[in-house]
Amino acid sequence: MIRVAGTVLKLEKINKSFGGIHALKNVQFELFEGEVHALLGENGAGKSTLIKILTGVHRMDSGKILIHGKNIVIEDPVDARQKGIGAIYQELSLIDSLTVAENIFLGHEPVGNFFGNLKKKELTRRALEYLNTFGIEIAPETPVSDLGLGQKRIVEIVKALSINANILLLDEPTTGMSKAEIDTLFSIMDDLKRKKVTMIYISHYLDEVFRVCDRATVLRDGENAGVFKIGEVDLKTLIRAMLGRTLKEEFPRRNGFPGRETVLEASEFQSEGMAAPVSFKLHRGEILGITGIIGSGKSELALGLFGVDRKVAGEIKVKEEKMAIASPSDAKKRGISFVPEDRKVQGLFLRLPVEHNITIANLALSMKRGVISYKRRFEIARETAEKLKVTPLDVKMPVQNLSGGNQQKVVIGKWLCGATDIFILDEPTRGIDIGAKTEIYSLINSLADNGAGILIMSSEFREMSGVCDRVLIMRKGSVVSELAGEELTTEKILTVALGG
Amino acid sequence: MDKKIETGERKNVNWAKIKRLLKGELGLILILVALMAVFSFLSPYFFTSKNLLNITRQVSITLIVAIGMTFVILTGEIDLSVGSAAALVGVTTAVVLKASGNLGLAMTAGLVMGAGIGIVNGLLTVYGRVQSFIVTLAMLGVARGAALVWTGGKPISKLPVDFGIMGAGYLGVVPVSSIIAAGIFILAFFVLNRTKHGVYMKSIGANREAARLSAIPVKRYRVLAFVISGVMSALGGILITSRLLSAQPTAGEGLELNVIAAVILGGASLSGGIGTVLGTLLGTMVIGVIDNGMNLVGVSSFFQQIVKGVIILVAVLAKRSD
Repeated sequence: MIRVAGTVLKLEKINKSFGGIHALKNVQFELFEGEVHALLGENGAGKSTLIKILTGVHRMDSGKILIHGKNIVIEDPVDARQKGIGAIYQELSLIDSLTVAENIFLGHEPVGNFFGNLKKKELTRRALEYLNTFGIEIAPETPVSDLGLGQKRIVEIVKALSINANILLLDEPTTGMSKAEIDTLFSIMDDLKRKKVTMIYISHYLDEVFRVCDRATVLRDGENAGVFKIGEVDLKTLIRAMLGRTLKEEFPRRNGFPGRETVLEASEFQSEGMAAPVSFKLHRGEILGITGIIGSGKSELALGLFGVDRKVAGEIKVKEEKMAIASPSDAKKRGISFVPEDRKVQGLFLRLPVEHNITIANLALSMKRGVISYKRRFEIARETAEKLKVTPLDVKMPVQNLSGGNQQKVVIGKWLCGATDIFILDEPTRGIDIGAKTEIYSLINSLADNGAGILIMSSEFREMSGVCDRVLIMRKGSVVSELAGEELTTEKILTVALGG
Repeated sequence: MDKKIETGERKNVNWAKIKRLLKGELGLILILVALMAVFSFLSPYFFTSKNLLNITRQVSITLIVAIGMTFVILTGEIDLSVGSAAALVGVTTAVVLKASGNLGLAMTAGLVMGAGIGIVNGLLTVYGRVQSFIVTLAMLGVARGAALVWTGGKPISKLPVDFGIMGAGYLGVVPVSSIIAAGIFILAFFVLNRTKHGVYMKSIGANREAARLSAIPVKRYRVLAFVISGVMSALGGILITSRLLSAQPTAGEGLELNVIAAVILGGASLSGGIGTVLGTLLGTMVIGVIDNGMNLVGVSSFFQQIVKGVIILVAVLAKRSD
């Protein structure tokens, strides 16, 4: 391992709160010149908050940022870039209709005169220079739309470097990449290291961390949980640092047990969005977890089961009966409910009142002789909101005024007032605080106790082991393992899901 | 002590309610009342029952078409073809009326033409995945062109006098077209607020993805909104033709802009999901009162356009700020 001298970046006692939630508590972070430094932690551990402070998206409440020993303030994303911090996110920021060269120099093009006419030749020449420096074989005149995902991400890196970034932040850079593309990326990263570029590497794949990183900083619940030299640490130690001790009381105990009757069965089922066929059985009263990291295909499976994406192979049986589910309305008619992954984009009508959101999927219940009764609608919404402990209990209020946890309750409530006994919940507790999480777990338990079959898709492994009766683990589109009983532990899920 | 706190809270609740109303329809009512007060002051004739009824007659066609537009805008789309559709429907109705002499048949033909235009707009937008702005802009040209080609650019006149009752007739002192507009308003109000169709269309505009995942047949309802707009334009076209007893291929030019202005003034959001027919009624009335009042006061028609534009802008801005 290359031991490098100088400290490029140092963060001291960083604090950041959102509302009442303390997202970062006295966090320390140090980057040595020319190292690849992994930033690890579970969802909600504070990784993204830290990154957003570094890239100028959020302002910290207190703490110090030092670059080369000098105290600095990062005003905004543009300022961060000027200070040499470049970031490559999962979502690409390239413009498809422009060429590679044009993209690389977008915003700082070599221009001829006052009117800003582009010097095309110089643009191409300088882009080629950059590409050659890193041994990348992409012609600068190629339109970006012709490139594969891996090449695009590499162009994105070159773009960041062309703005003189000496600290490069890579957020899940291998998402969606092929093995060959990953290899190219890693060799470019090696090259960058030799050129004294420092990198922060964020990935859910711990095997990648072991391959390319020199050190790792682990965050847990917004606090430092250790800094490790990759050469001197094993997978188990890293995982333990990420998880800490498990909070037993976080997961309320269930009274009931899964039954024998199968309520939902997929055999070699595959929809448009899915990479491979999947089979499973969900029983009455069972809480079945489907887990895996981002990109493992959980959400695609959920969308396929609910009839959002078109089926391409296999079959689905609902209560032992073969069913064609071609649309969400079909799924609803069969008693299937779906709580999507992104409540704001897919789940809620944010500007409309809570009562509208709760009653929309089962509008027939609010009707008297074919006409919507405001009184009945109000009563149904109010009753459901009360059952879910939505606070404040004002169903006339636009749902956007509620907190994340309460919004999530409304998304679930949308289906609760109807006749449904199969629930597909995609990331039901994403981005909500511990208290609200526990309430949602209790709700899931009581639904199962009352005979519903529940399918939970989640990438929070602790949640999976705490809530589910049985867990299927997906990796790159296929179910690779099934855990139940004593085998069902967070550590085991983590090991299988990450392929360690 | 306790009682004081309680009354304080109650006051807050009322205040919040009033604020909510002010941002919605009440604000528009205030604007309308203010405009009427100004014109009453400027012209002694303005605030007479005869003139007020006249205003309802003048706005009736705009209102009917604007109600159709409200449905389209609620789903997050736009329909620029309403004026041209009205003209083509007028011509269709007149041609069939002249050929058959059957009023019912002629009107049915006109309404079917309007629905057809709506279906084409809807299918191209929803299944063809072309932005409605473009689809209906193209339809604006096609429908107008068809009306002009069909008639050779000349109006079809001397239609049977019976046909004029709808557009120009009176029931007692009340204009028949006002009664028709009122009926359409009540029907639309009911559909939007009391049936699943209206609630679904509103949901689709508020968040199309969430609507789809709430098991709403999104595509069907998006097309339906265009069909409603097409049929309402058709009714508008029939009324224009009936009023003049003549089908003009150039009728309804610029109607789309007046109608969109009325709907937006009424509080609807061009991005969809927000809007009411009551708002549309008030928006239409505001524009109608401005037109009527300025004519009475004798403002030059060139200057009227400027004043109207400014008043619409000010009204929309006033509704924006809290």
